Amino acid sequence: MKRREFIASTALVGLSTALNSKEVQKLDSKIWLVLEEVYLILFPKTVNMPSSKEFGVISYLQEVMFHSTFKKDDREYILQGAKDFLDSFPNFLSSNSKQKEQDVKDASENSYGNSWLDSLVYYGLEAMLSDPIYGGNTKELAWKSLEHETGLPQPKVKYARHVR
Amino acid sequence: MIYDICIIGSGAGAGPIAYELTKEGKKVLILEKGEIYSEKDFSKDEIAYVRRNIVTPNLKDEYHTIEEDIDGTWTKFPTYETGWSFWNGSILGGSSNFMSGYFHRLKPNDFKLKTVYGKYEDSNVVDWPITYDDMEKYYTKVEEVIGVSGKLTKYKHQEPRSKKDYAYEPLLEHPITKLFDKACKDLDYTSYKVPRAIISKAKDNRNPCYYSNYCGSYACASGAKGNSRAALLVPALKTGNLTIKANAFVYKLDSTKKKVTKAYYYTKEGTSKEVKAKLFVLAAQAVESSRLLLNSKNKYFPNGLANSSGQVGRNMIFTGGGVGSGEFDESNLSKEELFTRGLFINRALKDWYFTKEFKGGTVDFLFDHANPIRKALSNRYDENGNLLFGKALQDKLYKEFTKKRVFNFEIFTDWMPNDNCFVSVDEKYKDKYGIPVANIRIGAHKQDVKVGNFLAKKAVKVLEQMGAKNIKVNVSPLPSQNLQAGGCRFGDNKKESVLNKNCQSHDLDNLFVTDGSFMPTGGSVPHTWTIYANSFRVADYIKTIL
Repeated sequence: MKRREFIASTALVGLSTALNSKEVQKLDSKIWLVLEEVYLILFPKTVNMPSSKEFGVISYLQEVMFHSTFKKDDREYILQGAKDFLDSFPNFLSSNSKQKEQDVKDASENSYGNSWLDSLVYYGLEAMLSDPIYGGNTKELAWKSLEHETGLPQPKVKYARHVR
Repeated sequence: MIYDICIIGSGAGAGPIAYELTKEGKKVLILEKGEIYSEKDFSKDEIAYVRRNIVTPNLKDEYHTIEEDIDGTWTKFPTYETGWSFWNGSILGGSSNFMSGYFHRLKPNDFKLKTVYGKYEDSNVVDWPITYDDMEKYYTKVEEVIGVSGKLTKYKHQEPRSKKDYAYEPLLEHPITKLFDKACKDLDYTSYKVPRAIISKAKDNRNPCYYSNYCGSYACASGAKGNSRAALLVPALKTGNLTIKANAFVYKLDSTKKKVTKAYYYTKEGTSKEVKAKLFVLAAQAVESSRLLLNSKNKYFPNGLANSSGQVGRNMIFTGGGVGSGEFDESNLSKEELFTRGLFINRALKDWYFTKEFKGGTVDFLFDHANPIRKALSNRYDENGNLLFGKALQDKLYKEFTKKRVFNFEIFTDWMPNDNCFVSVDEKYKDKYGIPVANIRIGAHKQDVKVGNFLAKKAVKVLEQMGAKNIKVNVSPLPSQNLQAGGCRFGDNKKESVLNKNCQSHDLDNLFVTDGSFMPTGGSVPHTWTIYANSFRVADYIKTIL
């Protein structure tokens, strides 16, 4: 895959998740579909663990990626990587699950692809295990699966803002 | 208005001054860089407090440069490039909000290391200008006012005490302490019970510990942790004599030849303001305190305020040592016991705090912090460093979280003061306000690593005796960024120190520095108890002159 300049593109269509941020709305829906499908390869449902779809990785990313505390470079890397991935594997979204797995495996075998997937895993783990107030860890599924008891009190507001 | 005292900072060095002097009827102003929070604001939010560092400045806006020896050349790395933050809590109460509260006093010989062990080549070790006896009653005061819980351990290096036991009963202990105690007994080591600055019963406005399991790195939602805000500033506010200006970043002090006259600060909006006071107390944490003095040069002090000695910023100290870990599973303890949450370990090795040949140190033991994201991130690679994903990643996470627990140790050695550990400022590197940032050269003395390795071997023996698996050790010359001291040494010689024995500037008699900056040596322990105790001592002196 070659690193190409990211172009924030056309109008959003079809995403079912509620999108509040103007930045989110600017993104091509395909970006989110690619991320969602790649994440399902990275975090599949197993006997013990919920899938990325179940723990809400996309709603987490849409919640946190455009906050001022999210590293801008990481955001651009994730989004540009999704575009480049699709450029390299143009049939990815319509492929069967076995081929999708193979595409992700192929991507992981070059340094750019591996680094991009590492970023996805990094923020995927945040989505999996952060407090549900940030949009991931739906119904605390991952905490329950990992027998993790969170500390109390849980946040009533995001980003340690003052509680009114 | 001219305040009696203006304190810059609000952490462990600041709180005792405000607490004591407001009770005396003095009008005290605190200028705090960060926001004011209270217990109701605090939650166990890993994203906010650990991953996004909401309570410290954004490193793109306010950073440090860290100067490291790269192949024989000292090279500066801005922390916005590395992410290695040396900020430790820019909110009311400072970093004391986020400490783990391992509280250790220094011992009589810590006050005279040069006399006891001599001066190592390439080191700047000196004796303190005061003795343990001068500090004992203030250590005891901290036990009562800040609140220290625990049970005294009798062992060969126990320092003299005026009180038989700690002010608060011990916190509840995790079942693994039984294994630890037995291992120490088998090895003929002392299982030292660590006192904690966490109260086990209610005190005034503070509720006791509720064993949240999210303690270190998190502010306390009950007020049990002995942070400066809950223990000292809330009572000080009740006197009506304390004013707190939040979001006030002090960037310069002005002076005549003999007195500090004004503090200049920026508001959150970037507006510059000034305040006047009869007496100024600097307690911004050691790195920032030296930075402020160096940035406050004027015609009387061209090398930085209170710096006629040229010693401001020199001889910074941290704690040296390293870390290690071992894994425990159901072959060691029942699952119910092993996965008991929230209870404390409170154990350390201190038998080698002093040896005949060299100054040793302390090894504290603890479970991994609860943070699940951090734990998961550390497990995303296989043993060859390859990224895991798919079922392999999910299975590994499940195993790491549900089948074993990681038991850690942290080594604390004296950081040997030396010419290559200091704070300076450089006009080339400025923060968002246009003020030169602190450059921190972090050179360590080779003795620190030797002592770290010596202590690590003792700790590993305990882990082995306990039956730990997959034991790992990492002894390092890198500093503990959260445990800062030195830079404004106190001493009797005006040419070799910044402060006198009362932590008063040799140059400016209305300027005091009461964070860890005064310490010529740090002891082989976290510094916080000593900073609190010393600040109470200085407060008593200020009462006699103001």
